[in-house]
Amino acid sequence: MDEQDLVSRSKSGDVEAFNLLVEQYQRLVFNLALRMLGNSEAAEDASQDAFLSAYKAIGKFRGGSFKSWVLRIAANSCHDKLRVARRYRVVSLDTLMLEIGDLPQANNNESPEDYALRRELGRFLNEGLAYLPEDQRLVVILSDVQGLSYEEVAQAAGCSLGTVKSRLNRGRTRLRDFLLQREELLPSKFRLNK
Amino acid sequence: MCRKVQGMFSEYIDNRLSTEDKSLVERHLQACEACSRELGSLRMTVQLLHRVTEAPVPRSFAITVPAPRHESAFGPASLRWLRPATAVVAIALVVLLMGDFLNVFGHEAVTRGGELLNAPPGQTMLLPNPAGEGNLTATADELTKVIPTPTQAGAGNVTEGNNTEGNASAPVFMAGISGTQSPEGPPSIPGQETVGWPLRQTEIGLGVVVFALATLMVFAVMQRRKGVSIR
Repeated sequence: MDEQDLVSRSKSGDVEAFNLLVEQYQRLVFNLALRMLGNSEAAEDASQDAFLSAYKAIGKFRGGSFKSWVLRIAANSCHDKLRVARRYRVVSLDTLMLEIGDLPQANNNESPEDYALRRELGRFLNEGLAYLPEDQRLVVILSDVQGLSYEEVAQAAGCSLGTVKSRLNRGRTRLRDFLLQREELLPSKFRLNK
Repeated sequence: MCRKVQGMFSEYIDNRLSTEDKSLVERHLQACEACSRELGSLRMTVQLLHRVTEAPVPRSFAITVPAPRHESAFGPASLRWLRPATAVVAIALVVLLMGDFLNVFGHEAVTRGGELLNAPPGQTMLLPNPAGEGNLTATADELTKVIPTPTQAGAGNVTEGNNTEGNASAPVFMAGISGTQSPEGPPSIPGQETVGWPLRQTEIGLGVVVFALATLMVFAVMQRRKGVSIR
């Protein structure tokens, strides 16, 4: 059953069809929320809110990339959570980001040293993403972590192509500067200025 | 020049530059060591980000929609007829109230004439004496002779009524109804040809119906809002 058919059936109120779409995109949505919010519990709430909102608004989906559309809703959900967190000063984002334990690519032949190096690098990258302003963080995650094209990023972020390019360049540069400041703490294998 | 070229580095890394811009960047990189280092570190940062893996989802985010308990007349589908029905009845009520306020229906005269004309033949009625001395009584028969029924209505009938059987109450009655008498004779009663109808009762009835429909509509909307939930 193709995506267009599932979307049509969802618009008619077929919850089972919609849940097949949820199954397809929940990993993408959860990981976006996890990297935007830096907290697994908050990411779960934001992801659930995003799919509920998507179901209620499915009638307004006018075609195009369903992936970008649902990521746009997820980004808005994350934005709402961040706004509440800032207003009530719940937890600092730096602290939150350290909770993420996921790591760069691993392989089965990885030695314990490589495993430790990867964990350390993952922690630095997450810290660096938390260091970015919200709008730059979103486009960097969508483009470089989740592999969306510039056009898909523009739809998901709700901005123009030019804005995506600008934010991506500034976000990457800022992240690079963050990593350079702590370069001595990076594993030598991953140091930027070799 | 360096600032302009560095602003294009992201697109250059992603191979999104036009042929012309790409040539511009590459020519500059050949001549500028600082920009070459800048590009190198930026490219390494992007490659590190590409190596980040996705975390597994902790649970399913599938949604559930609770099934309707029973087919109720107050369910969400009833909104389809409730809204237009409420609107129609409300508009009818507003039209009636405005007509009553502006006396479009001639309600007062109709009511007075209608009540008297509709009385049973032998019924005695108490009428105010315009002369100010107590009340006068008259039967419906006597009044009918003075004021013809709508079927008998005509310009001459009213005048003839004054001359019948020397009925002492006739001119009193006429004065009470129409106020002053014109030289041509007693004026005809406005709305005499209109059939009386219970305007007040209709207004009250419509008001009750509007209130009931509005209450049902609010209830149906509340039912509809108890909609989507999560597993």
